[in-house]
Formats: sequence, structure tokens, C-alpha cells
Amino acid sequence: MHIPDAFIPLWQGAAYWIIALIFIGISVRWAQREMNEDKIPVIAVLAAGIFAIQAFNLPVAMGTSGHLVGGALAAIVLGSPFAAVFILTLVLIVQALLFGDGGITVMGANILNMGIIGGFVGYYSYHAVLSLVKNPYLSAGIAAWLACLISALACAVEMAIAGTFPLVPGIVAMGVYHAVIGLIEGVITAVILSLLATSRPDLIASSSRVVSP
Amino acid sequence: MNRLDNRSFLLLGVAVAVVIAILAVFFASGEPDGLESAALVVQGEKSLTGPSPDDADPEAVGTGVSVYSSPLPDYSLGEESGITGGIIAVILGIFVTLALVLGITRLFAAGKA
Repeated sequence: MHIPDAFIPLWQGAAYWIIALIFIGISVRWAQREMNEDKIPVIAVLAAGIFAIQAFNLPVAMGTSGHLVGGALAAIVLGSPFAAVFILTLVLIVQALLFGDGGITVMGANILNMGIIGGFVGYYSYHAVLSLVKNPYLSAGIAAWLACLISALACAVEMAIAGTFPLVPGIVAMGVYHAVIGLIEGVITAVILSLLATSRPDLIASSSRVVSP
Repeated sequence: MNRLDNRSFLLLGVAVAVVIAILAVFFASGEPDGLESAALVVQGEKSLTGPSPDDADPEAVGTGVSVYSSPLPDYSLGEESGITGGIIAVILGIFVTLALVLGITRLFAAGKA
């Protein structure tokens, strides 16, 4: 759901940039506080892996394809929604500057949708679902699906404010496609979380309760 | 299973990312993504659940300006370099991402010490 520059007028793009910069500022403070020799490889591998997997579009029927966004994954593994903001911002900068995937003036909106909304919805719905079902992988899958869907709906509203999509048809189309694309997000998030739990359980935030202390 | 040390974890993680990216060059779907499909739907080029037309331009619905042209559009080095160009482009992307993250995180870690 990388928005290209032509989809949002400049002044609205600037407004999303201001929102994004506030969260980026907090995420930088999160990174400065949390950084240590054990966290650096996790953040690096998550960023490189999210970049790679975002290039891998999988067909989802209805003439559409989708890929993992990774905000929920980053937030759950590192135990903070600001981890998602930090990692997705860096990935989106490389994608836009080097590959033209997602615009420059609209990058604030892309950071808002995929990093901020993806990270916050993923993180908080993970903990809400976990308290109900007790299974971390099922919880992560559901949270990631929801993060994908809510981000897409936010994107549809932004498109309507921009006058690019009509509101209701935009919400219906974005909602339908991302309800299906979200299944990719859910399954891959759960699988990567379980791979991490096997290879380096100590690296997963203890707050996520994936690994018993 | 033995726990991987930090260095092995980083190397293994990057190797997995490179494999995923190379597989993506060969097997990624060329269908429009969710946002592009929605753009085709609101333009009347595509029905909600129907196939996407090959020649439709999802970005035609955008009325704003786009001034930036990236050096490697569409994760490729251009038509003539084909698959090899695609592989070089995604691997370059992984290492630029990695360099950016490692640079910034090491800066923070050093600032803390």
C-alpha cells in the first residue's frame, strides 16, 4: 500500500510528514534508550528482512497481490510500537529514494499507515488478544491481520481527503483487498515469530510473553 | 537447538533476506497491489473481484505532482538487464537498508556508552 506522490496534494503530504516526524522523533529516543549489542542484530535483520519480503508480492486472487508490511512483527518482537516506526521509516526511505516505491512528498503518509498505525494496532491488539487466547502465535497472526486491515482503511480515508478515491468505494475496495492480503501478514508474522523464538528466544521482548521467563 | 551468537544471527538473517529477495525476482506476482487495485476499481478499469487489465495505469487517478525519479525504478536496472538487473537491485536494496540501520544503531549505541 505504498502511496505514490501523485495521490496526495503537497499540503496534505506536508501535514502527514509533520505527524510522522513527531513519531519518528519518539522512535529515535526509543532506539537510543533500547540500543545494545543484542538488539542491533535483531533490528538490522528485521529491517533487511522486511525490505526483502516487501519485494515479494504474492497473488491473492481478484487480480491483486500483496506482501508482508511487517509493522506488527517489529512491534511485537521488540516490545514497542516505536520499533515499528523506527524500522519501517528506514525501509520506506530506501524504497522511495532508491526504487521509487512510495513517494517522497507522501512518505509521511506511508510512515503513518505502515509504521505508526501498523505498529500501534499490531502491538496493542497483540496484547489484547494474548490476554484472551494465551497463544502468542495465534495472537500475533490476528494482530498482524488487523494491523494490515486498519492501515489500509486509514489509507482509503487519506485517499478520500485527497480527493483521489471516493470515500465509500475506496474503503470497500481497500478493505476487501487488505482483508485478504492481511492473511499473508498474519501467517508470515506468526511463522517469523516462532522461528525467532527457536533461534534466539532471548531477543524477543519479554513483555511479548512468547517465551516463558 | 543451540542459540546463535549475535554475529551468526546477523549473517544468517541477512542470508535469508537475500534468498527471499532473489526468489522474489523470479516468483513475485506482477498483479497490482491492494492500493493499485483499489485505484483501478475507483477508475472503473476493474471490477472489485474481477481480473486486473494488463494495460491499465493505476496511477492515472492521481492528480498531484511527482517530481522525483528514482535511480532504480521498479526494483530493476532497466529493461535490458532483466533478471540479473533485478537480482542486483534487490540485493543492493538489502545492503543499503542494512548499512543505514547498522550505521544509525551503532551511532546510538556509541552515544550511550
